Amino acid sequence: MLIADRRYGFINGVVRQALHRPRMDRVTLTDRIDDIVTHKWLGLPIFFAMMYVMFRLVIDVSAPFLDWTDAVITGPVARWFASLLDLLAAPAWIHSLVVEAVIGGVGGVLVFIPGLLILYFFLALLEDSGYMSRAAFVMDRFMRVVGLHGKSFIPMILGFGRAVPAVYATRTIPSRRDRVLTALLIPLMSCSARLPVYVVFGLAFFGSHAGTVIWAMYALGILVAMLAGMVFTRTILKPDVTSAFVLELPPYRAPAFKSVLIHMWENTREFVRKAGTTILYASLVMWVLLNLPRGVTEQRDSYFGKVSGWIAPVFAPLGFGEWQTSGALVSGFMAKEIVVSTMSQIYIGAEEVGFAEQETTFAGDLNEIGVGFVNAALDSGKILLSILPGVDLVDEEAASQDTVLSRILREHFTPLSAVAMLIFVLLYVPCVATLGAIKHEFGASWAVTSAVYQTVVAWLAAFLVYQGGLLLGLG
Amino acid sequence: MLAQLLSLLESQSDGLSLFEVSRRMKVQPSALQPMLDLLVRKGRLVEIGPDGKCCTTCASVSDCNLLAARGKRYVTAR
Repeated sequence: MLIADRRYGFINGVVRQALHRPRMDRVTLTDRIDDIVTHKWLGLPIFFAMMYVMFRLVIDVSAPFLDWTDAVITGPVARWFASLLDLLAAPAWIHSLVVEAVIGGVGGVLVFIPGLLILYFFLALLEDSGYMSRAAFVMDRFMRVVGLHGKSFIPMILGFGRAVPAVYATRTIPSRRDRVLTALLIPLMSCSARLPVYVVFGLAFFGSHAGTVIWAMYALGILVAMLAGMVFTRTILKPDVTSAFVLELPPYRAPAFKSVLIHMWENTREFVRKAGTTILYASLVMWVLLNLPRGVTEQRDSYFGKVSGWIAPVFAPLGFGEWQTSGALVSGFMAKEIVVSTMSQIYIGAEEVGFAEQETTFAGDLNEIGVGFVNAALDSGKILLSILPGVDLVDEEAASQDTVLSRILREHFTPLSAVAMLIFVLLYVPCVATLGAIKHEFGASWAVTSAVYQTVVAWLAAFLVYQGGLLLGLG
Repeated sequence: MLAQLLSLLESQSDGLSLFEVSRRMKVQPSALQPMLDLLVRKGRLVEIGPDGKCCTTCASVSDCNLLAARGKRYVTAR
């Protein structure tokens, strides 16, 4: 022992004298950032602040492009279609079908592509930079309250983009009970399909505060998910064995521009594909129902108007008991964007806003599109720069432009009923594709549970907000 | 060197892992491992597997990655 001790002591002495290791900085930049963003108390406020900034940027920066897309679709594009139909000597009903169903319905949804591109840009930035894993870590404490852990928050974050892949992403969770509960809560995260509804109502009723209102919808979705989770945990989904939450936090890195672009394109392509299929079919069916029986002059007397009129009393206590709104909400079961496309068809169709009245040339239209784009880019740049303290480049008059639909909605809703409507859209029955995914993964009974509980919660929440607001004199 | 190692472990009732000893003595783990092995062979130290003492609420002790990462611990033989 003594000899061994001396021998090791000698070796250690030689090594200390001969070997000089470079001093390594063991606390990396990632560690320093993590000390702040995953801090026990600062973590959650930082997460919510980042979400707030993101949605403000999405709404404010995309607003000029949204106006531009709206102007292009309702202006030159509508005129080209009208001219083409005139050339082909198409009958009046074909004109109506193209202008109301295709341009009013599908175009009303395509208008939001700039906003979605910017939303996906920021989501890609957060994902590629490595912050998303931190968000899951930070939310772990919150998730424990509902009997889940941070791992369940990752599918929920995906739910901010699209709910269907988020439901399939629950496969990474080991426990079936945790998977089911996560899938039931995912539709409460505001998917991008609801963004068009938020933007239309936000810009119509809340102007420069639209970003805050939209952020509040996202935060409310998370809050209701927490409450729903607590109820499920204490009733039909009692927790089994609590498993450990082990998550690898990748080092922070600058997002690759190409990867961000691919992310933006893939998600937006899916939205455009949906506009060209589901929303187009739904718009065509809606147009047929709005124009049957033959010879109907008032939309209220059409099949769609009559059925919507029967359902409308259900929504009357929520502040939006008009047949147009109830019809749009029912059609939103197919996909949430259809709420906007149906409203565009009904309201814009009924108001007979002329899309194709102005006489212009093709070259003039192209020039209008180009100039409009440059102006939108300049306005967006000014809004972006105005975020910096002390810089104010925004022309209030230009900033307050809104879409045709937004202008018409102000005649049919009050700000209070608009908030109730937004809350209802946030919480009510998931779209048919999401319910299909839940059925596929967990069976029909859970899909029915999801549809029923969300609709009941949505009705109650909108009722409380609207009637509470009236009692407080906010109506 | 070995005496120093023994006195460090004597002061720790729960023992220490290879990496904890390495950090405290500022010696590389690869240099420490033969010393610990020698002391175990001579009966001066005892190896204990990862215990669950750090976890009081978690039910998945048997599959815990964190616990496995703590590795073997060395305590002085009584």
